Amino acid sequence: MKFFTPFRKKSPWILHYNAGSCNGCDIEILAALGPKFDLERFGAINTGNPKQSDIFLVTGPVTYRSRERLVELYTQIPEPKVVVAVGSCTDTGGVFRGMLNVEDGIDRYIPVDVYIPGCAASPQLIIDGLVKALEILETKSKAIEKPFKLFGAVQMIGTKLSRLNMAQRVRHDEN
Amino acid sequence: MIWVWILLAPLLGGLVYGGERVLRARMQRRQGPPFLQPFYDMFKLMDKRSLIVHAPHALLAVGHFFLLWVSVAAIFLGWNLLYIIFLHLFAQVVLILAGYSVRSVYSHLGANRELLALVAYEPILILVSVGFYLVSGSFEIGRILEGEGYLAQMPLLFAALLIIVPIKVKKSPFDVTEAHQEIVGGVEIEYSGVFYEFLYMARFLEYLFIYSFIFLFGGISYGVGAVLVAATFLLVNLVDNATARVRTGDMVKIVYGVAMSLAVINIVGILR
Amino acid sequence: MDLVWILVLLPIVASAALVSITSERVHYYLCSAVLILSGGTALTLYGSPEIFTFHLSSVAEGGIVVADVLLLLYFAYQGVKFKSRMVMILAVMQLLLYLFAKLISPVETAPEIVVDTLSKFMFLIINIVGGIIILFSIRYMKDESADPFKKRVFIAGLLFFLSVMNAIVCADSMLLFFLLFEMTTLSSYLLIAFRNDEISRSNALRALWMNQIGGVVILLGALVAISGFDTLSISELLEHSGQMVVLSVALLSMAALVKGASIPFDGWLLGAMVAPTPVSAMLHSATMVKIAPYLILKLSPALGGTLLGEFLSVIGASVFVAASYLALSRFVFKEILGYSTIALLGLMISLAAIGTESSISIAMVLILFHALSKALLFLAAGVLEKQYHVKSIEEMKGMIQRAPKTVGYIVFGFVSLTLPPFGLFMGKLFAITSVTSILHERPWLLIVLLGMIVGSVLLVLLYFKVASALLSHPSDTVLTKREHLPFGYHIPLILLSFLILFTAVGYTLVQNDRLLALFALPLLIVFLLPIMIRAMERYDRIQPYHCGEKESFDAALVYFEPSVFTQRLIYWGFGAMFVALLLAGALS
Repeated sequence: MKFFTPFRKKSPWILHYNAGSCNGCDIEILAALGPKFDLERFGAINTGNPKQSDIFLVTGPVTYRSRERLVELYTQIPEPKVVVAVGSCTDTGGVFRGMLNVEDGIDRYIPVDVYIPGCAASPQLIIDGLVKALEILETKSKAIEKPFKLFGAVQMIGTKLSRLNMAQRVRHDEN
Repeated sequence: MIWVWILLAPLLGGLVYGGERVLRARMQRRQGPPFLQPFYDMFKLMDKRSLIVHAPHALLAVGHFFLLWVSVAAIFLGWNLLYIIFLHLFAQVVLILAGYSVRSVYSHLGANRELLALVAYEPILILVSVGFYLVSGSFEIGRILEGEGYLAQMPLLFAALLIIVPIKVKKSPFDVTEAHQEIVGGVEIEYSGVFYEFLYMARFLEYLFIYSFIFLFGGISYGVGAVLVAATFLLVNLVDNATARVRTGDMVKIVYGVAMSLAVINIVGILR
Repeated sequence: MDLVWILVLLPIVASAALVSITSERVHYYLCSAVLILSGGTALTLYGSPEIFTFHLSSVAEGGIVVADVLLLLYFAYQGVKFKSRMVMILAVMQLLLYLFAKLISPVETAPEIVVDTLSKFMFLIINIVGGIIILFSIRYMKDESADPFKKRVFIAGLLFFLSVMNAIVCADSMLLFFLLFEMTTLSSYLLIAFRNDEISRSNALRALWMNQIGGVVILLGALVAISGFDTLSISELLEHSGQMVVLSVALLSMAALVKGASIPFDGWLLGAMVAPTPVSAMLHSATMVKIAPYLILKLSPALGGTLLGEFLSVIGASVFVAASYLALSRFVFKEILGYSTIALLGLMISLAAIGTESSISIAMVLILFHALSKALLFLAAGVLEKQYHVKSIEEMKGMIQRAPKTVGYIVFGFVSLTLPPFGLFMGKLFAITSVTSILHERPWLLIVLLGMIVGSVLLVLLYFKVASALLSHPSDTVLTKREHLPFGYHIPLILLSFLILFTAVGYTLVQNDRLLALFALPLLIVFLLPIMIRAMERYDRIQPYHCGEKESFDAALVYFEPSVFTQRLIYWGFGAMFVALLLAGALS
């Protein structure tokens, strides 16, 4: 489906998930979506639904409680997809690094494509990061991407096995 | 020629939708997405992996889209207004059944709201077509478009129709069925990839469906009809940007209280 | 004429045979034979254009009087036995009125039995739908915990009821009609009380006294007719004109409203839902309550265009809306079906009372399609009750996983009641068209039109609200088991579904409107669905999205409960309208 591939970067739909952030980055993301920075001029929509999203915007250092949800949301986004870690905590754990019940960044659980630094990351940086993410999105294939770690409850979702084991049939060379 | 237009109907609706997104952005002093954004979205969705919950659920969305297309085609061909309304009802019920067929809370919530919205707007649509019958003597769109003076004879029915337009195009204050992130898209929640695309295009057809009712008020002078459609388009978007969402029950109450009485008063006026 | 005798006598013979034979296999043969024979007879009769009339001999006349007095005495005895004052008073009142009417009644010259097109049409519905329901009841009774003899009597009772119904739709004399009307009341009473526990006994008594009111008004109507025109024949009455006719017709249509369980009397039909399901299917939705629209149709020559007719059609349309609305707060599946029956009966009464040619034919069509669809729904409800022990829609959540076939029939029933291309939908569509076309001449029908529009969307809301509970199915990552449906249950359901399909297709073809072919599209979808589901195996499955919630939970069903004040308003309003009907008859 070569014809459709260029359109990936023309309509990035965003899923925003707060994995225990202090809300600083969330406010900046909303600012980026708002009238002043107007992310919608790139065609971006904040869908709030993993099944229709392309870009996974995560904020926060991943608290113990939120990790299963993080993985579940990631697995429910259909490929091709990119993950953008917004803010220092999400990249490395930031000021929360090493604390009790904090998992030090999302790349322990899911593969991250773009890291956006800053505490909190400014809207300009977020837009830059998104544009970078779009370039990566264009190069991705439709092959299944798995999270690094699955939790028992989401095993079935993670492997995305259909009842006839059809998950194997998707061609990996499709680009 | 008309068949070409029918084939192009989803594209036409897509243009309307794209124009609307730009218009809304400009009203908020934003630049907004490109005019062709809906088509970019469509093409992108073609390129996504499609994940389904179960087969009937996915197929019902496809059925919804095609039934809507048929009802829009029937409008273009100038058929009986009542038949068109009921075909549209069938398309809507197919969507509702799709929403109910999965074990998902938000999908059920969305379908409930969709059902209540149906209860709200369906009588008004039928009353409007009854008004057309009383004035022009026929339910056939072809015949209705040969008459004139509808706006003068049924101004209140037009007002009633204006009240339900936001329900159909999912705009504030009556956008409970979709409700942005409140219920995560409602019925649409469990769709992805190609199957979501069908629902996305179904929305384009809904625009054509409801705006063609507005167009009918122009009668034989298509210019008046076009002006009415443009004015309604602007008004609906203005109201969308300026109002908050009302609750589902209140929506039904408002439509039954205000729009229904307007319609009944108008019909009584015609009958006198 | 002989054919009519077959219809009346065959079920009685079969019921006598059924009580004496114990073998279940023979029961099946017997009931199938009744279904085929009487259904075939009804079809032959429907095909022949003649109108039969028949005069009863004096012996038969005497028999009718004896039967009537015995019946009323039995009612009075039941009233005494179960200490129901209403039943007692009404039975005595009926007895006195009846004897008085008999005393002053003239020597009858008009034939008592008239088989016209309407009767033939009703024969068709009664025998085919009734026969299928009786076939179903054999298997249903096998699962019922009761004495074997009582079970046989139950099936025999249903057969006997079939012959009563066949007789009532060709009775033209008001006193004969009264007797048969009371016979249907009696069978309704006995069958509701079949399980003989406290609740069914009290509901049966309520059904009895409410229906007795209908009997009283019929007798009053007969008295008016006798004193005015010296006749008991309904068709002769309709040939006259004047105030007395209107009064008599008003009284008879009040009886129709009672039998059709229109709103102040809806209590008895809902109470009747405690009876075994075949009873609900047969008496309380497919055949017996159809006496209401039947009677109005019979009276429609005197109703069309008059103040009384207009008022009656407004009442019918209001019942359509109010009953659909009240049903939204119910959760027992059969009660929901019961309320929707009341609602649709209201629609039929309303259309019949308008009295134009098209509205009458639409009312008849609605009677047919409603009987088929409701029988299907009730039988499917019976299967759910016996095989899965669920009665309320709260227990039915995710039922499609456990009983895919039964749920399929139920959803098909719902679709056939609301959507194109099925008959009920077509009826509503043509009803709107036909009422709109005479709106200029009779502006009051605007209320009826509004009622039809709002009532139909409320019914859509009602049915698909119930469907929401049935349908929710989890992701098909695991295979569901195939449902085994016993033949005794399955065959009647298949028969009814095919009848619904064929009649719908036939009706569409008869309309001879090429645009209607458009409505065949949905059928195409239904047939393509299985093939397409195969093709869907290419796609990967995924779990539904719960916004990160880990516990599995379901969406709650929605109920719309009217406030106590609104409920009271509805009941008093309809009560007042019921009385006002009499006033409208007396004054016009």
